[in-house]
Amino acid sequence: MVHRLGLLLCAVCLAGMAPRAAAGQPAGGKPEAAFREQVKPFLARYCNDCHGGAEPEKNLALDKLPDADNRDTWTRVHKYLHGRIMPPKDAAQPTAEEFRAVLASIEAHLSGSDCGLARNPGRVTIRRLNRTEYDNTIRDLVGVDFHPSDDFPSDDIGYGFDQIGDVLSMPPILLEKYLAAADQVVDRAIYVHTPEKTPRQTFPANKVQHEGGNDGANCWQLASSGSVFTEVELPASGEYILRGKAFATQAGNELAKMAFKLDDEQVHVADVAAEPGAAEVYETKLRIKPGKHRFMLAFINDFYDPQNPDPKRRDRNLSIEYLEVQGPLHAPPPELPESHKKIVFCELKKGELHECAEKILGRFASRAFRRPATAQEVERLVKFVDLARANGESFERGIQLALEAVLVSPNFLFRVEQDPEPSAGGAQAAHEINEYELATRLSYFLYSSMPDDGLFHDAHKGRLRQNLDKHVSRMLKDPKCRALVDNFATQWLEIRRLQNVTPDSKLFPGFDDELRQAMLEETKRFIAAVVEEDRSVLDLLDADFTFLNERLARHYRIEGVTGPEFRRVKLDDPDRGGLVTHASVLTATSNPTRTSPVKRGKWILEVLLDMPPPPPPPNAGDLKDEGQVAASGSLRQRMEQHRANPSCASCHVLMDSLGFGLENFDAVGAWRDRDGAFAIDASGELPDGSSFKGPRELKAILKQKKDEFVRCLSAKMLTYALGRGLEAYDRCAVDEISATVAQDGYKFSALIRAIVLSDPFQKRGSR
Amino acid sequence: MKHSWHISRRAALKGLGTALVLPLLDSMLPATAFSPFARALQAAETARQLPNRAAFVYVPNGMHMPDWTPSQVGAGFDLPPILATLSPVKDDFMVITGLAQDGGRAHGDGGGDHARAMASFLTGTHPKKTHGADIRAGVSADQVAAEKVGRLTRFASLELGCDAGAQSGNCDTGYSCAYSSNAAWRTESQPVAKEVNPRLVFERLFTDGPPGETKEAKARRERYRLSVLDFVQEDAASLKRRLGANDQRKLDEYLTSVRELEARIARSEKSPGEGPVGLPKPAGVPEDYAEHIRLMYDLMALAFQSDLTRVVTFVHANEGSNRSYPFIGVSDGHHDLSHHAGDAEKQAKISKINQFHASHLARFLQKLKETPEGDGNLLDHSMIAFGSAIGDGNRHNHDDLPIMLAGRGCGTLKPGRHIRYERETPLNNLWLSMLDRLGAHVDRLGDGKGTLSELNA
Repeated sequence: MVHRLGLLLCAVCLAGMAPRAAAGQPAGGKPEAAFREQVKPFLARYCNDCHGGAEPEKNLALDKLPDADNRDTWTRVHKYLHGRIMPPKDAAQPTAEEFRAVLASIEAHLSGSDCGLARNPGRVTIRRLNRTEYDNTIRDLVGVDFHPSDDFPSDDIGYGFDQIGDVLSMPPILLEKYLAAADQVVDRAIYVHTPEKTPRQTFPANKVQHEGGNDGANCWQLASSGSVFTEVELPASGEYILRGKAFATQAGNELAKMAFKLDDEQVHVADVAAEPGAAEVYETKLRIKPGKHRFMLAFINDFYDPQNPDPKRRDRNLSIEYLEVQGPLHAPPPELPESHKKIVFCELKKGELHECAEKILGRFASRAFRRPATAQEVERLVKFVDLARANGESFERGIQLALEAVLVSPNFLFRVEQDPEPSAGGAQAAHEINEYELATRLSYFLYSSMPDDGLFHDAHKGRLRQNLDKHVSRMLKDPKCRALVDNFATQWLEIRRLQNVTPDSKLFPGFDDELRQAMLEETKRFIAAVVEEDRSVLDLLDADFTFLNERLARHYRIEGVTGPEFRRVKLDDPDRGGLVTHASVLTATSNPTRTSPVKRGKWILEVLLDMPPPPPPPNAGDLKDEGQVAASGSLRQRMEQHRANPSCASCHVLMDSLGFGLENFDAVGAWRDRDGAFAIDASGELPDGSSFKGPRELKAILKQKKDEFVRCLSAKMLTYALGRGLEAYDRCAVDEISATVAQDGYKFSALIRAIVLSDPFQKRGSR
Repeated sequence: MKHSWHISRRAALKGLGTALVLPLLDSMLPATAFSPFARALQAAETARQLPNRAAFVYVPNGMHMPDWTPSQVGAGFDLPPILATLSPVKDDFMVITGLAQDGGRAHGDGGGDHARAMASFLTGTHPKKTHGADIRAGVSADQVAAEKVGRLTRFASLELGCDAGAQSGNCDTGYSCAYSSNAAWRTESQPVAKEVNPRLVFERLFTDGPPGETKEAKARRERYRLSVLDFVQEDAASLKRRLGANDQRKLDEYLTSVRELEARIARSEKSPGEGPVGLPKPAGVPEDYAEHIRLMYDLMALAFQSDLTRVVTFVHANEGSNRSYPFIGVSDGHHDLSHHAGDAEKQAKISKINQFHASHLARFLQKLKETPEGDGNLLDHSMIAFGSAIGDGNRHNHDDLPIMLAGRGCGTLKPGRHIRYERETPLNNLWLSMLDRLGAHVDRLGDGKGTLSELNA
């Protein structure tokens, strides 16, 4: 029984969520024995032939009746029966009533048993900020917005998302990048005055005016008395440094003298000892008024001694490489950056610097660590100010260093959640996370960033939980909530991979990067509309509007949209509208040269219904033993032949049928009636016997499965909100969330609220 | 004043500097001494200060094996179409047939051969099937090398690639994307992310502080940096004490990384101090994939030449990659093609893709060969392994793998041959053989328990 082996191999991988179950079922459920008696006849009749005996298929011994509390097994059994994937088509088939009865028993059992009080809310592994969260957090914490994480290595994905605590690792290269980023962040955020930052004007000596002398490549040579001079414009009155870089040849009993003259007044004379090839910088400091001045360097003690026995001591000459004016020194910085004023908020008075540093760093570290910084932490940070000053640098430089340390600290880079009694051995109960931790979970869920002032404020006062609803409403209206679209939705819908697709340019000459971005934008705006207008999440399955610009409208052959800006467009064609008809989704689930009904069907099952099809059995796709598929047939004919192989059929019947419903959309999501020589046949029949034709009827079927869809969306969003994969014990929470959403008219905000109020979000389990 | 803290830091640093360099050199000795190649290596190291290096290069989705495997063994081996691109360096590489990576096989875990192939390639372990919780593979050969000889160079190892990790979704049935995008594994639970941007690789290798920075400023900057690392290390240690087991593991990763960076700063005097000759700083990730691969190879060659590192992994594309290659006339996705079902046209396209990758390897090997070093060239003092942990992409088999090894390993390899080993010989035995030749001997690694004979005879 090759095909069953294949299927059951697949079945192991069907991890995940239990089936939909009536919510609000009384706790307690039926006694185990009764449940087992109920399902026993069905199993004996339809399942145990293969899943029984000495070598049950895939070790699933249904004749031995798995323990009633073996939830994974019963969930799996339910899923396969519910999807009509089992029993296989060539085996005896239960009647519709038999199916209904056995499914009801399993559902009642699964939902009844442990949705009582003592639930495990789960325990998320400490989460490192991912790249997006890092950038957003830096933006909100420091006030500089420049995407430092562009240089970070990519974050690994688990459970479909890139913010799963278990998966986010911390290799040395990343820490190196964090250090470099922290360096750049504090450099932009805090102004530190250093001599290098004082403006300087430099003039190559052979490019200015001269009196006497000649050009010596990169210097001006003065063989007898003479000078180089230039006009300089000084912006303000203050102290300036005048410099000259020079060398000399010597003769007589004194060194070559270089006079510094400002407006013909001699202000300094330097003895130039530097030898040819090793020019040195000579300088003097003085106060100068603003405006135009003449700066001159002059050779004033020419000497010639041709009789000297040492040929190197016969001629005293001066060579000048450049003139330079730097200043004004100690000028106030032009304008402190906003971030600087915000962070360095206390006045720097002599004798109070330590207190000031404590205030600055205490506040900054508390916001960065998303909880009050301890006195010890602040004291250790203040030492960076001491360190900078001990090295002859400024207070601000010390603040920079302390900030850098904060930004590389694990307390910042990781979202830490602590158990109330860390040392207690083992028997800790699940507990509510504290209000700072709740504020953090909430803001990273909705903003992909740190808590805002409102959240911090209420967490500090200990009244965040009591005001939670108000905060959620407020946050859902904040533009930062767009993070739900950019981070949750693009990953949930797997359309980030659109950035890497490469449709064949010969077959799809209209596809270019502009169209790619337009596709993405349509979907993002569409979801943003659902969020912002608090629409029903069922709109995602089908809607009579979307967002288009001219480029995409032309692609869809919709008229009357001009210009590059996106705008809301009412859709008259019921075949367009809803996520499954978006070019982003259709393109991301196609091959470069053709559509892939399998990938599209799989996408619908995985992404919209949370029924991931099992993986293909080993050696799938190898059709050698079955004779060559007629390469000349239509894609549909070829795939139907593929499905003639029973080991493929059970799963592919479902996947392919759904995918074929979208065949009117080509591999870049444009409408078509023909595929090459073949007319499109967009009809499909599902295992439960229902049939449909074309996108609009496929969407109608998806809308009938709204409970499955809402459950799927709830599970995916809960995964995202928690940063961990869902476990069997999360089933009750997902049931309750989806039931609440249905009760509240499927509103988007109801989904967010239900997740925020759920146990897994509010609590932390013990371990 | 509370200077005691930073003074103690200074004192500690002083200790650190010596502590880091000398004993590590010592710890090198036993490994080298036990290595069967001790004499050759010591001769190379002491006489001319020429190090041996290792690169591990990965290509995804297997190979069109009929166009890869030479029909004759020994020195007079033939060059099927994929290897033909390497004919100019025929005497400098050996094809090694018959190796298997058993960890890539299902062993009851069902589908997911691509994820398992990448994660097992250098580890020789069977990766744990998980979407995210409890990611487990094994320590990879390159990271063993980095651990053992990495301290001799500025960078213990480099991990390079052309594809970043996956953007979304599942990469291979039931496996976290971490598996199919990472060949290098620092610990069994910690993959090492690749650097995919040539500009960033360049900056990391050749830039050290702002241009024109004075010696004093650089010393001060490093002092500050060490103080920052000191601070966060203390934070991590105190945080770790208050966390549960899973969280502690993450903090351990963090602490290891901090220590690695500290050591790097202490080693920074080994920096060559000048930019490379002949390669301008890349602007970023090139649009053109061929150019991307070229730049990465150029950077590898420079890193070896400047002795900035002796251990590199380079992943041409993530395992299961569905990249298309229109610039060589293949518009179909690579992974889609690899399920060729015996279709000759698809196989021809796969072969073309394989030839494309091999031609870049060829260019790299030639570049190493044209770079004089000592009385030979850079390729003489390198070991470049190239291949995949899938044989035929259609069958997803993990035996009879396409593997080759180029270079002379400082006289420890005798290339220019096709060697056929008994089927099921662990690929990890090759890695163990290479580790020995690096002076990084370990007794076992994954399923590898011995070395391959005949590599030098």
